[in-house]
Amino acid sequence: MSPIASSSPLPPVRVWDIGVRIFHWSLLVAVSVAAMTGFFGSPDSVAIHLIAGVAIAYLLVFRVIWGFSGSTFARFRTFIFAPSVLIARAKDMLAGRHTRYLGHNPLGGAMVLALMGVLALILMTGTVVLGGILKQGPLAFMTSYATGGLVKEVHQALAFGLVGLVSLHLAGVIYESVVGKEKLVKAMITGNKPAISDVVLPKPAAARPLVALVLLALFSLSGIGIVASLAARPGLGVPVAAVDPLYVKECGSCHFAYHPSMGPAKLWDGIISHLDQHFGEDATLPEATRAAIASYLAANSAEHFDTRISHVLANANPDDPLRFTATRFWTRMHREIPASVFTSKPVGFKGACNACHSDAKAGLFAPQNIDIPEGAFK
Amino acid sequence: MNMRFVAGVALALIIPALAYAGAAQKPVLDAYAAQAKSEQASFAGFSAERGKAFFLAKHDASAETPSCTTCHTNDPTKSGQTRAGKDLAPMAVSKTPDRFTDAEKVEKWFTRNCQSVVGRPCTAQEKGDFITFMASL
Repeated sequence: MSPIASSSPLPPVRVWDIGVRIFHWSLLVAVSVAAMTGFFGSPDSVAIHLIAGVAIAYLLVFRVIWGFSGSTFARFRTFIFAPSVLIARAKDMLAGRHTRYLGHNPLGGAMVLALMGVLALILMTGTVVLGGILKQGPLAFMTSYATGGLVKEVHQALAFGLVGLVSLHLAGVIYESVVGKEKLVKAMITGNKPAISDVVLPKPAAARPLVALVLLALFSLSGIGIVASLAARPGLGVPVAAVDPLYVKECGSCHFAYHPSMGPAKLWDGIISHLDQHFGEDATLPEATRAAIASYLAANSAEHFDTRISHVLANANPDDPLRFTATRFWTRMHREIPASVFTSKPVGFKGACNACHSDAKAGLFAPQNIDIPEGAFK
Repeated sequence: MNMRFVAGVALALIIPALAYAGAAQKPVLDAYAAQAKSEQASFAGFSAERGKAFFLAKHDASAETPSCTTCHTNDPTKSGQTRAGKDLAPMAVSKTPDRFTDAEKVEKWFTRNCQSVVGRPCTAQEKGDFITFMASL
């Protein structure tokens, strides 16, 4: 053997087609963004988390289509192995024997399926959480806040599971690089590997990008149509009626007119029964007006809705039970905001919800509708 | 054009304008004047000066709202802000012409704010002086 031949024994062959490579690296980016915003994000990074989720959904759908229409090693049939083969591969690894596969080895192939499966479950549970807690997306019309909260636990557990799988995936890549002397990362960039295989190669197949594109377009169009029509339905327990003009006129002349769904009946009763001592001021109303507002608040209190805001503020702070901004939820959600923002001219004080939440007036508080005014940071 | 003619035209335009600035507040003021007379036999009309002093005075009924100026600022021709961050239109009638025209609204706010700031209901004289001051600006 000549020295040149020993350093590159055979000419490289294309193993990972462009579809597989773009999928792989795009998925890495989208999952990283989703994980960063999910694990470490602020309340307003939900918007980016959702975009990443939609991107992952598209990538997965593409990969499933490509598993039937891509080139040889993109196809599922080339990397789905019988359990006995998986066990044999694991035994080989433990015994220090290395069998080279040109495409995915049996455990690597199983990892692809596991990653895709867990991602699909994360997407499904995420959609339930989005529907139940934020009352957005295709399931908002039928998912309760309680269901959303339960499924959120599952979503989070799956996310930790995904972190575990990704770690195993990386461990596998390192093992193959060290024991098998493979350059897997480079192969996933160039698409090429040395044309050597210890096992019989699968029957070659040509990529059919046009078929894949048509299928993806069909899926997108029908998918968007279904999701959009479901998402357009009113969310379960979301306020739809306009806020009572008398309430807005009387209560809104000194402060933001808090949506009645923000407070439980007990809180509203505590406020409307003691207007002469209203957070340090006298806010007395003529009795007829007071009574009308009291009955409006009682009929539209938090108990009558199923939004996030109707649940989270109900847990009052015993030291200051009538103040929304004294609740643990409020404090937790606003912990990253400098105190000076709340006293700034455009905001005024902590209870001016609508200074930053453009949909607070309607009692919605979507994380996508948060915008701290420019002047508040001066 | 002689000066007397110019002055005459100017006066002819200004006097009705001045009269108009207070006209919308007259019914509310008249009612407080009648009430002041019944409260106090020596009542001899409202005074913008006394109203100004009342507006600027510091009281000790409340740490949060020691004075009218806490929310309305020292300059009634400027916008104020409630402690809860809501903008308040200027109190001066010249800036906010519909101030002190709705008797019910006027009474609602005097009732609340006198209690909050002064710690007691205001007298009809104090209310009338206050409005007279705001109408004079």
